[in-house]
Amino acid sequence: MNLQNKLFFLIYLFGMHFMTAQQMLTLVTQEKQFVAGTTILLEFKTSHTKNYQLYCTNSYGSTLLNSEINNGTVVFKIPTYIGDKAGVVGWKIIGSKESISGKFNITPKSNPTSLESYIGPPSIEAGGYDFTMLVVIPTDDLDNPLKNHTKVRIKDQFLSSEKETTIFTNNLIAYKTIFSPLKSGRMILSAESLALNSKEYDVNIMPAIGTNFKIFSKRNHAYADGNQITTFSTSIIKDKNNNVVSDGTFVSFFITNKKGNVLKTFGTTINGIANAKMIHPDHQELWEIKAYIAGISESNRLEVSYKKVIETFDVHFSDTNRGLKVGPLKSFMNQMIPDGLRVRLSIYREGAHVNDIFNTTKDGFVNFDLDPNIYEKDNYNLEVSTAGITKAFKNIKLW
Amino acid sequence: MVNTNKIILRSILIVFYLLIISILIFLTSSLFSYFNTGADRSTMLHTDVKKLDQYVPKISWKDDGNEGRFMDPQTLSSIENDYLDAWYVKHIANKTNLETGIDDFYTKSARKTLFNFIAHHKEANISIESTTLAHNPDILFFSEDGQLVVLEDKNVVEYKKVIKDHKPVIETTEASDYKGVFLLEDGFWRLRHLVKEQTSEFDKTIRPSLINPSNIKGINYYPQATPWDMFGENFDLKIIKKDFKIIKKAGLNTIRIFVPYEDFGKAKVIESKLDKLEQVLDAADKRRLKVVVTLFDFYGNYEVLDWTLNHRHAEIIVSKFKDHKAILAWDVKNEPNLDFESRGKERVVSWLEHLIILIKSIDKNHAVTIGWSNIKSAEILKNSLDFVSFHYYEDVHEFENEYDNLKKAIPNKPIVLGEFGVSSYSGGWNSFGSSEKIQATYYQEMQKILTKKNLSFISWTLYDFDAIPKEVVGVLPWRVNPQKEFGFINTNGVKKPAFKFISN
Repeated sequence: MNLQNKLFFLIYLFGMHFMTAQQMLTLVTQEKQFVAGTTILLEFKTSHTKNYQLYCTNSYGSTLLNSEINNGTVVFKIPTYIGDKAGVVGWKIIGSKESISGKFNITPKSNPTSLESYIGPPSIEAGGYDFTMLVVIPTDDLDNPLKNHTKVRIKDQFLSSEKETTIFTNNLIAYKTIFSPLKSGRMILSAESLALNSKEYDVNIMPAIGTNFKIFSKRNHAYADGNQITTFSTSIIKDKNNNVVSDGTFVSFFITNKKGNVLKTFGTTINGIANAKMIHPDHQELWEIKAYIAGISESNRLEVSYKKVIETFDVHFSDTNRGLKVGPLKSFMNQMIPDGLRVRLSIYREGAHVNDIFNTTKDGFVNFDLDPNIYEKDNYNLEVSTAGITKAFKNIKLW
Repeated sequence: MVNTNKIILRSILIVFYLLIISILIFLTSSLFSYFNTGADRSTMLHTDVKKLDQYVPKISWKDDGNEGRFMDPQTLSSIENDYLDAWYVKHIANKTNLETGIDDFYTKSARKTLFNFIAHHKEANISIESTTLAHNPDILFFSEDGQLVVLEDKNVVEYKKVIKDHKPVIETTEASDYKGVFLLEDGFWRLRHLVKEQTSEFDKTIRPSLINPSNIKGINYYPQATPWDMFGENFDLKIIKKDFKIIKKAGLNTIRIFVPYEDFGKAKVIESKLDKLEQVLDAADKRRLKVVVTLFDFYGNYEVLDWTLNHRHAEIIVSKFKDHKAILAWDVKNEPNLDFESRGKERVVSWLEHLIILIKSIDKNHAVTIGWSNIKSAEILKNSLDFVSFHYYEDVHEFENEYDNLKKAIPNKPIVLGEFGVSSYSGGWNSFGSSEKIQATYYQEMQKILTKKNLSFISWTLYDFDAIPKEVVGVLPWRVNPQKEFGFINTNGVKKPAFKFISN
């Protein structure tokens, strides 16, 4: 390009610039930062009185705005629903030949009017492993989260300790993890930011899982009368930090008898102690008892023995041997055994077992009637057993 | 006589009986169905929520953990669903100015702001067609109780078209960064706070492909028995392989094939269809034929909210075959300019533009083009395409001139004649008369010009067809019948005279 050409090009450029400058909108508003809630005006200098539209987009949506002409300037008033929300606002003039666009930033107000706080989980386990989390979002009165690095103080009270920690907002929120103390109880929490205080929040510190425990038994007497009740109870079950386990902790008692059969009974704790009951056996017995909190802890092994109450008893036959009267069945002080002791009559015919008849005592006696329609005339072997004692009668003739 | 009367009486009685019984059955059944219609009790539990793909922008999670609780995949997927739904209901609200669905995905305080926008737009008669094309979310924080999430979404590509008084005013594509707080409220992750941290114009720069084809001698291909249904039930690879042999033998090096959008499963491309396409590409590669794949055949919606579905369709196909040796170029859409009138030119063009950007972002090697139906439209989006292709069914004598004009307007992009041809139909529906001889002369003359201009070409088409689906040219016989006989080979498999001029 020679000099002449260059010169021509320069003049051309200047001319073009001059021509376009005539119609150009030039942005007068210099600020790029606004605080939410303030009136935001975008002003443009122009030489003519043409109205424009402005495309405008913020955090939540986009819209079109109309201009007003005011003393040779084109003014766009940003409406409150855009101006109230923090974030970047992009804009673009519509209807001008050249593309005029820009953006500005709306910052939240500097002071909060609410501390949006979320705490959870609401109950945690004592012992220093479990934790809860307090999330605080300080927001201004236009519902904008405050700017990054806003100071938030978290206060917590537990028993005699009161603590305060300072955290800062980051990514719109401030949060703190609060680990459980060793003791169970209730922790009170609150937050404060720039002199604004939150309401009170509380977190239950629940005892941790129980440790191994002891069991005891308590009974009126040691006789196997099939009537009295033995109560099993646990020691006060505590977690490893000496907190009494939560009420309602389920304890199962497993009772193994001499034959190796297992009886089960249950109880739930109140103040750390679980009680469970079991009716006495009706015969001499030795029980071995062990309790468990399923999958968590277990007790020692407890042995309980029950003494025989009935040494022997009589059986009277009557009514052609078809009526049997068993008794009197006497207990440890020779008193009649309480009603309800089970007596079994086993019937054999020609060596083969025919039937078992069960009956319970009433006033110390049990009566059996052998129905002639069922038990035909013949010789039978009969066995009467109760309280672990069996008496056999051979070749009893029924007729 | 008496006997006949008896029979008549009996049959009347039987007919009458049948009538009464059928009326009774009808009445009881309608009563029964009346009491069984209405809300199904099981629907109260929302157990079978049928998820329809309506909005599937590209979403790439940044998987780098977070400051709070461990994020399990199930929670993440429900956050993703609700987050996208939050965008979706916003797009719907933008478009319709209705508040439907907003309650479900925005908390009470957040929805107020949206309602303000809706109120203003209703008043000013503004509506916005919007969608987002890409999201790159990252969970920054997940609270220990699993009820609160802070999510950052960088480079959200948002397309918006603002319409005022039913006229489009501005169209913009922005890339923005957002940060949001979400709360789990009655089973929904609802947006509580949203802050746009950054926004800029979306960079639409398109880089040219690494491989740009030249010297294409091609043909548009459908198997003879299954025109416009190449990958359907009657897909037969043997026939296709045989045809490829014929094409190769005729001196051609390229074919152009069509992927029907709905038949391929829209956004969820059906695996078996992809398999068939792969078999076709493999067969072409075996014969050293290159393939131009047209991605959106039988599609005509272009609705902004449909874009994400279209993008997934293109994405699946292009990413699967971007390294296939047979691929020559991606033709975004066959003759999209035909939809300008019904769908609006701007809408179609921005649809095309964003698809080009997407395809280019996946496949940097292969060329992208659009098969414009006429030479007049060929300049649209010329700078975004690797080569310009247009279809020519006009007068053969004006072709050279028209092409020269186009070349002048687009001096620095390769130009391909994507479809051309003439029907040999000489039946009663063709008033001007044509014949296989005229067809041959047409090709002879065209080939002369093509050779002279060194212009790449893809002719229409290999075969005559027995039937044309009504979606192609409608049902009018004077349009359907000529369409059947554009082939170089007739329905009996005999080569027509034009076959001599299939290539140069």
